[in-house]
Amino acid sequence: MKKLITITVVTLLIVSLFSFAIAAKTKIKVACFPDQDSGFEAILDDFYAEYPDIEVELVVNGFDDHHNALLTQIAAGGNVPDATTIEIGYIANFVAKGGFVNLLEEPYNAEQFKENIVEYKWSQGTTDDDRLIAFPTDIAPGTIYYRRDILSELGFDIDDMKTIDDWIAAGSKFAEDLDGDGVNDRWLLADAADIFFMIAKSGDELYFDEDGDCIVDSPRFIKAFKAAKIVRDKGLDAKIGAWTNEWYSTFKDGTVIMQPSGAWLGGHIRNWIAPDTSGKWGVANLPDDMYVNWGGSFLAIPEDAKNKEEAWKFIKFAATRKDTQIAQFKASNIFPSWKPAFEDPIFDQEMEFFAGQKARLLWLETAKQIPTVVTNKHDVIAEEIVSAALTDVLNKDVDIIKALKDAKQQIERRARR
Amino acid sequence: MRISKKLAPYIFISPFFILFFIFGAFPILYSFFLSFQIWDGIGPQEFVGIENYIFVLTDPWFWQSIWNSIVIFVLTTIPQHVIALFLAFVLNSKMVKFKDLFRSSYFLPYITSAVAVAMIFSMLYGEHFGILNTILKHLDNLPLIGTLFDFININPPIRWLGEEAWIKPSIALMVTWQFTGWNMIIYYAGLQNIPENLYEAAEVDGANMKQVFFKITLPMLRPVIFFGVTLSIIGNLQLFQQPYILTGGTGGVGRAGLTTALYLYRTGFNWNMFGVGSAMAYILCLFIIALSLINRKIFQER
Amino acid sequence: MSRENNKQNNLPDYKKLKKITNKTILYLILIAGVVITFFPFYYMMVLATRCRSEIFCYPPPLWFGNSAIINLNILLDKLPFFKNILNSIIVSTLATLLVLFFCSLGGYGFAKYSFKNKEKLFFLMLASMMIPPLLSIIPWFIMMRVFGWINSFKPLIIPGAANAFGIFLMRQFMEKIPNEIIDAARIDGAGEFEIYYKIAVPLSKPGLATLSILTFLSSWNNFMGPLLILQDKTMYTIPVALSKLNGNFETPWGATMMGTALGVLPIVIVFIMASKRFISGLTRGATKG
Repeated sequence: MKKLITITVVTLLIVSLFSFAIAAKTKIKVACFPDQDSGFEAILDDFYAEYPDIEVELVVNGFDDHHNALLTQIAAGGNVPDATTIEIGYIANFVAKGGFVNLLEEPYNAEQFKENIVEYKWSQGTTDDDRLIAFPTDIAPGTIYYRRDILSELGFDIDDMKTIDDWIAAGSKFAEDLDGDGVNDRWLLADAADIFFMIAKSGDELYFDEDGDCIVDSPRFIKAFKAAKIVRDKGLDAKIGAWTNEWYSTFKDGTVIMQPSGAWLGGHIRNWIAPDTSGKWGVANLPDDMYVNWGGSFLAIPEDAKNKEEAWKFIKFAATRKDTQIAQFKASNIFPSWKPAFEDPIFDQEMEFFAGQKARLLWLETAKQIPTVVTNKHDVIAEEIVSAALTDVLNKDVDIIKALKDAKQQIERRARR
Repeated sequence: MRISKKLAPYIFISPFFILFFIFGAFPILYSFFLSFQIWDGIGPQEFVGIENYIFVLTDPWFWQSIWNSIVIFVLTTIPQHVIALFLAFVLNSKMVKFKDLFRSSYFLPYITSAVAVAMIFSMLYGEHFGILNTILKHLDNLPLIGTLFDFININPPIRWLGEEAWIKPSIALMVTWQFTGWNMIIYYAGLQNIPENLYEAAEVDGANMKQVFFKITLPMLRPVIFFGVTLSIIGNLQLFQQPYILTGGTGGVGRAGLTTALYLYRTGFNWNMFGVGSAMAYILCLFIIALSLINRKIFQER
Repeated sequence: MSRENNKQNNLPDYKKLKKITNKTILYLILIAGVVITFFPFYYMMVLATRCRSEIFCYPPPLWFGNSAIINLNILLDKLPFFKNILNSIIVSTLATLLVLFFCSLGGYGFAKYSFKNKEKLFFLMLASMMIPPLLSIIPWFIMMRVFGWINSFKPLIIPGAANAFGIFLMRQFMEKIPNEIIDAARIDGAGEFEIYYKIAVPLSKPGLATLSILTFLSSWNNFMGPLLILQDKTMYTIPVALSKLNGNFETPWGATMMGTALGVLPIVIVFIMASKRFISGLTRGATKG
């Protein structure tokens, strides 16, 4: 018995000594949302090999939750992550709020990386007084994901799908009420709102112009609303919102033909939404020669962070190296913003999930055509208000011009607060 | 250390007043101050007079949230109180056995966290794979009920949380499930206060259950119903957790589940409009007071 | 009376039959109510033992599966859930202990002393109950920030330690303590606090029991405060932890239901054990109110 106790004590001592040794590492917290975490996880082993004294803890929250939590954390001070992901929709808001370190200063000296970063990303992370507070990590060329099998069954060739009307024609042929309950059971796409987003994002500006004026009543938005309305009125969308169980089912069951989105969605579909549908998917350019940026993120270091230097090492590792940028791209389609990575042979590879298509090359070509995108600190609220207006138009037959005028007025009223 | 009898009560009650002034009264005054400012919680404050109040009162989303709250309140309060009254009456009578067992069972949902309940219900409300729609589908196949469903225009599967028209009933149904037991306890307590001899007298006069209920129980319970409905008003106009979880913190399609409490939360903590949020809190508070007064008026008549 | 007899003589069987049918219908309704009440809990446990593909199939499962361990592992992978349960226990227990002490003290003060402005102070206290908590949520958050209390348990324990409802409830129970006992103790030379502690507290145990259950429950189920204040996974209480499972791209529903079950069951078990006393305590408290 005594022996047993001795052994236990000695073991405990050894274990605690070891854990002490482990505790001597610097632990940094990196906050992000899915699927950024899969991308980071893909490079962590290499990171540890290079920086054995740093340990990374990924704090993963849902997309909205992540940004809302960050907002309160920055406002509350104190308990902040050492590095945090910020998505493009929120970037201007955080740039305007402050609370992050200027990466152009010592000891970060980020200026040296500028020429290798996609241009518009750099300006998005920069404040009015030329401080870089968020470092670009990835961009997201927008494309269409479509079901090859369905399209060819319908007798359509992807090379002929040049306009929105072509897609609507295919959708009209596919949409059908299978069980006779008066509503369709298969559709062109899940949510007509994505038709709107596709068109709305296809400009140099989104909700605000460069002077900060709200432009949601511009012809681009009217066109986007009209197109979405046509899709809804023809019964071509399932009225299923993104990121719901019903939405995932549409991918798995092949009840929709297509889904426009950023390159990153391909990673989601392949990794977990519908891994069983490998080989049935294809990637195509958006119709009407639109080239849009659909997502993409930054990494930033809060001013109150405890381990800024280590956080910066992580950011540099994740965002300014060809190999790590490619690793993230490979893991979950997180498209590089580090231009040297564009030279990687991976772009020439055929992708099994997309039936041997060189989809990465397509994204790269799209990425090169994306115009500069102007961001604004009120993008978040503007998107919510315009989406609400769109819902009213789609569901309640509100007049498009009036809905957009009202939305503009609401955004302007709020922008002051 | 000895406290004198004169001083003792003041010392005994002082913790409440100290905590109340720090965490209750001060924030309310501060809120009043903030409601005249524009502030994002980080940058400088700017005094804007009553602009925030005007903003809230002319904000269509605010009025929609009030409308949502009131609709949910009506949809849940009426069934809650009717069922609760019935259950309390039955369980207080001599008609049934196992009263404690029934009472405890009905009370169970109330002690469960609203977040947990909402998580469970978001599973029940699933569109294709939810159990509720599965049951409805089976019912729909029955001849008589199927016709009835067609008549009131219910076509399963219902998109409980995916369609504007269904979000409020879904929230109301869940709230009803959770709080009926609580109201039953309130009514049960009220029933215990009704003197036994009133019932005995009625029995002697040969009154049946229905007469007893409408002629004795209901009038005697008037103050209790008033109390219960007041609690429902205060609770429902501040309904937050249920819509927060069921609509993923957004308010749902077409903001159909955006209650005023949720809107207030989003205004303050998602959009960091602290001034507008404070003004909204004051306006909501006035609404609650007004509704409580109307409620009192209704129950004081006669 | 004769009319009554008449009736009974003419239709004895009919009346008896009607009574039995009525009773049967009544029981059926009551039992249906119990089923409706329990079904969501049952279903939660069924789904907690089912894997993803079983949950999302038609028709949905109605009986337990064998993925409970898998779901638990997924849950523990997403959240330090046992730490979250521990957090809930710590917060709720501390909150309850403080409330019991301060509210019984305050209730005793209001019940057994007459002092200047007693009525006014009591009214002020009751009036404070009418203030909707939402009114001060924004400044409350800012205050917590100024105090440096963000991401700590203090905001969830201290502000409510002496609350109006608890004091009111305890006063109801303590008013019934006979003044003679208290006066006798005073004559024997007992101090004021000693009387409270040695006489008033033991004599109001049912009230304390009711108050402790109510406080523990509301603290355990509290959501908006913890949602605003707690920012670290390791600090979350159960409701916040559960809400964070929802809203990720892929909600792990089996694991979420497992977490919900783990968060709900302790409370349900405690309630089942104490339900009779709890409900009678509650009705008594409410009746006196």
